[in-house]
Amino acid sequence: MRAIRKVFGAVTVLREVSLQCRAGQVHAICGENGAGKSTLMKVLGGIHAPDGGEIRIDGQAVRFGHPSEARRAGIAIIHQELALLPHRTVAQNIFLGHEPARWGVIDTQAMNAGAEAALRRVGCRIDPRTECGRLSVAEQQMVEIAKAVSLDARILVLDEPTAALDDVESQKLFDLIAELRRAGVAMLYISHRMAEVMALADDISVIKDGQLMATLPAAEATVDRIVRLMVGRELSDFYPPAAAQPPGAEVLAVEQGGNDRLHGIDLRLHAGEIVGVAGLEASGKVELARALYGERRFTRGTVRAWDGKGAARSPREAAQRGIGYLPDDRKREGLGLQQSLRDNAALTLRALAGPFAGAASAQRSRSRIDALLNKVEVRAADFEMPVGALSGGNQQKVMVARWMAREPRLWVVCEPTRGIDVGAKATIYRLLRDYADAGGAVLVVSSDVAEIIGLCDRICVMALGRIVAHLPRGSSEEAVIAQAVRHDVAEEVPA
Amino acid sequence: MSAQPHFARRHLIPITLVAISACVYVGTAIATGQHAQLTLAGVMGLVQRMVALGLVALGQNFVILAGSIDLSVANLISVSAVLASYFMQGDTGAIGYAVVGVLGVAAAVGVVNGLLVARLGVSPLIATLGVGLVLQGVLTVAFTSLQGQVPKAYQALAYGSVAGVPIAVLVLAAVAVAAALALTRTVAGAHLFAVGGNADSARLAGIRTSRVTIGAHAVAGLMSGLAGLYLASWLGAGTPWVGRDGGYDLDSIAAVVIGGTLLAGGRGSIAGTMAGVFVFATIDAVFNMLQIDAFLSQVLRGLIVVMAVGVYTFRNKGHVA
Amino acid sequence: MKQLRKVNPALVLLLVLLATMVCMSPLYQTAPGFMSFLQRAAPLVILTCGASFVLIAGGFDLSSGALITLVVIGCALITNGDASMTWTAVAAVYGMGLAVGLLNGLIVTQLKVPSIIATLGGLLSIKGLAMVWSGGAPSGYLPQNLRYLGRGVLRDVPITGTLPIAVIVLVGFVALYYWLMHRTNFGRLVLMIGDNPVAAELAGAPVRRVRVAAFVLSSLSAVTAGILLGGFSGVSVDVGTGYDLQAIAAAVIGGVVLLGGRGSIPGACIGALTLYTLFTVLNLLGFSEPLRVAVQGLILIGAAALTAWRHQRR
Repeated sequence: MRAIRKVFGAVTVLREVSLQCRAGQVHAICGENGAGKSTLMKVLGGIHAPDGGEIRIDGQAVRFGHPSEARRAGIAIIHQELALLPHRTVAQNIFLGHEPARWGVIDTQAMNAGAEAALRRVGCRIDPRTECGRLSVAEQQMVEIAKAVSLDARILVLDEPTAALDDVESQKLFDLIAELRRAGVAMLYISHRMAEVMALADDISVIKDGQLMATLPAAEATVDRIVRLMVGRELSDFYPPAAAQPPGAEVLAVEQGGNDRLHGIDLRLHAGEIVGVAGLEASGKVELARALYGERRFTRGTVRAWDGKGAARSPREAAQRGIGYLPDDRKREGLGLQQSLRDNAALTLRALAGPFAGAASAQRSRSRIDALLNKVEVRAADFEMPVGALSGGNQQKVMVARWMAREPRLWVVCEPTRGIDVGAKATIYRLLRDYADAGGAVLVVSSDVAEIIGLCDRICVMALGRIVAHLPRGSSEEAVIAQAVRHDVAEEVPA
Repeated sequence: MSAQPHFARRHLIPITLVAISACVYVGTAIATGQHAQLTLAGVMGLVQRMVALGLVALGQNFVILAGSIDLSVANLISVSAVLASYFMQGDTGAIGYAVVGVLGVAAAVGVVNGLLVARLGVSPLIATLGVGLVLQGVLTVAFTSLQGQVPKAYQALAYGSVAGVPIAVLVLAAVAVAAALALTRTVAGAHLFAVGGNADSARLAGIRTSRVTIGAHAVAGLMSGLAGLYLASWLGAGTPWVGRDGGYDLDSIAAVVIGGTLLAGGRGSIAGTMAGVFVFATIDAVFNMLQIDAFLSQVLRGLIVVMAVGVYTFRNKGHVA
Repeated sequence: MKQLRKVNPALVLLLVLLATMVCMSPLYQTAPGFMSFLQRAAPLVILTCGASFVLIAGGFDLSSGALITLVVIGCALITNGDASMTWTAVAAVYGMGLAVGLLNGLIVTQLKVPSIIATLGGLLSIKGLAMVWSGGAPSGYLPQNLRYLGRGVLRDVPITGTLPIAVIVLVGFVALYYWLMHRTNFGRLVLMIGDNPVAAELAGAPVRRVRVAAFVLSSLSAVTAGILLGGFSGVSVDVGTGYDLQAIAAAVIGGVVLLGGRGSIPGACIGALTLYTLFTVLNLLGFSEPLRVAVQGLILIGAAALTAWRHQRR
């Protein structure tokens, strides 16, 4: 039993975080989105160099300049985002970077055999010669796990490994973890799922806002304690109060809506209410938002909007009719990072006005945009600076301002507070509440269950592409998650 | 739980392309009464048209698979052809040195391309375009002092044949087979696919992505050098415009794309690229048989190339630059 | 101090080069001499402005040089030396330019063919078309009134003494394109689409229409440049060769980012003037044309490397 000690200290994202893990033990790491867990693992994996602190393996300090060096030191990471090469076979993906070869020529038979062995350890029965692009998400996750296993690592990092797996497959993973434990592998397990964490971990570290809050041995840990360390604030005066009035006129009704990812969606949205959609990864909540906005349309069922027409068929049509959309990945889908705040905020106005309209009314629209930017409390020295230079919270506020300029009847908001600081979160919640109170209908899709519970007037829980439950405001997190992990919904056979 | 599809299924695209082109070729030959084109000599003539473009397309295939592109090929071919005739100066004994010298220079240019792309982070389009321009300028200026010609014996490369098969075709076949084996059976080939498919995943897996990119560009340079050597043999002497006149930049990219290689990298095959080159050779031969005006055929060529690529790309989702 | 940092670095380079040029040659020390310098530079500046729209939107237009050749040859053939046909010819070539721009734009937005390939193919086809039309041997000459646009000069003008027509066209054209890029919604959308097309689409922008329009603007600028060029160059097959790459190099010098999303018309003009001044200086130093091509290649690489380096710093 050799002790492995790691000490980190890094600026901004990670502040003096230290943890240790021993061979044959599972050390769980919990924290909210953006707390710094993934960054910590990336430092371990040689992807980022720490700005302070050190890593010690077997008591010896090590420095990694490149992921290959971390690999050679015996560290393997199963990342949260699946990163398989879709056009290569399973075996080729598993052995990427350590192909069995003689004189540079790959021994394909050995590779396929080795892949099969690794897959068997993981409990998976895919033919190693299949192209990865053809696999389901769950199968891809198993391949990623097999990939790490084939490296015979001494230190294994698992980042949300069960995100895409069902109960049966997850159990196979737990069996594998038990086997690795016996083999003396040290494991770091990042997860939101309290049940798994409580069942597997020997030690639990909680990270919040880049700092290590505490490391609890399993015996002393309870879900309550962990959650409180993760969240660490009074929830009550953080979220705005409930709706001032009962919901108004119906704005949108979806009946038995479906497409390749959604089934049997029945949903009614009214003016003045904030409806939340909760669900774990791959529950379909993001697809629902996209379908409402016209980006990935409904192919089945009917949609009735306030203007008498059906579903929007493209984002442009949706925007023109009065539906707004805040995408979940603001950097990739929301902002032109080199453009100024004003230009980003004015985007919707410009996009939907005529091409030459800017000329005459430039002054008027500029003051209007500035007023909006002030209303959302963007903190920036100068509204002409490129939006890429702002913090996440301010960037998100610019996105909010952009859509407020259009005053949509229905506003579909995805992950409104992902990766932003607490102060900005409170501001955005207040803005959404005020917007609903003024007569808009807001649909909030979020992975943050606490946020859904605190902000929304009612909650829809999704799993496997369906809405499985409607819960009222004030439900507990457990109630929501209990519905979100359901697997007993019948799979609808596509017509 | 599907097994890997058969050879035929995997190579559906190139097989279809070759079949359609062959039909068009045969049909045109019969319709215009040029039966000579259908004899072994005629077919070999067709395949011979493939050699220069085939070599370049092979190199371009490596680079595109790695997620990059090479627009300096045409000018590099010119440089190679000129240097070949200059080094040889009509002396049979100098052939060996000349070949080594030319290939060395060509590979070096490829390495420069690769360094610009991988180390300096310059967009491959601009890096290779820029290098091509530099080559063009320097070559045109220096050409007066780089006069020479190849010895008669060397012209056997382009004109000689063994048992009815032109030597040049044999060379192309050998290089193609070697390239295919390298791509599919070696670790380097696997890494090339990885870097083109998802450079971040490749890096996380411990692959040195810059080395792979530089290597791919070096191969492309080498292939351009080979093509230049062949053209020098065929023409008797190299000139600074032989590369540009042949349209090798656009044609090599188009042949690769038509053959099923993704422009973004990560998937493709040598067989596909060779099929693409065959299509081009057939188009040229058919235009020739139909006696279409040289300039009109250029117009048609440009349109056909763009449309053919369009057939592959129009199914892409998302925005394209 | 902050104001100083906002100044386009290319402007500094331009002033240095202009100073060099003026010192080296007495011709440019007189106002008429300088005006003729501007007259000669006008086609490149105009073309760069057009190319900037496509570059900022995230694409490339490599067919503009061939379009210039087509314009010159086309004008010669349509007018056949007859001055009364001039305006017919002008209308015809603008029509052709519009068609080429639309075709380029549609191929890139509908068929999703990358603009490099699409416009390279366009280059081949347009050049071939020009050759077919002229029967393989472009000859003839442009009528006087058409050439007047390119080489005509107004005399006895206050301050500068002479004012070339080309400079008037240049100023008007730049003003128009400036207005389009910086004072209309369309222009602002071009910038956003080049920066993040997905974001623009999700905000409701008509991304495809804007990009097609960018290609049309590029082609129309090529036609204008061609008409001016026809004024002082002969009718030949090489009239427009290489201009597209020159325009790209000029735009990059002037601050247009090749990946899209950043750049301006004033920057494009400065870049074009800088490049043209550089060529003039090289000419005065005795550099032959092919060497200037090589220098251009180096500049292209250098500018792109600088941009990439700055991006990495962030």
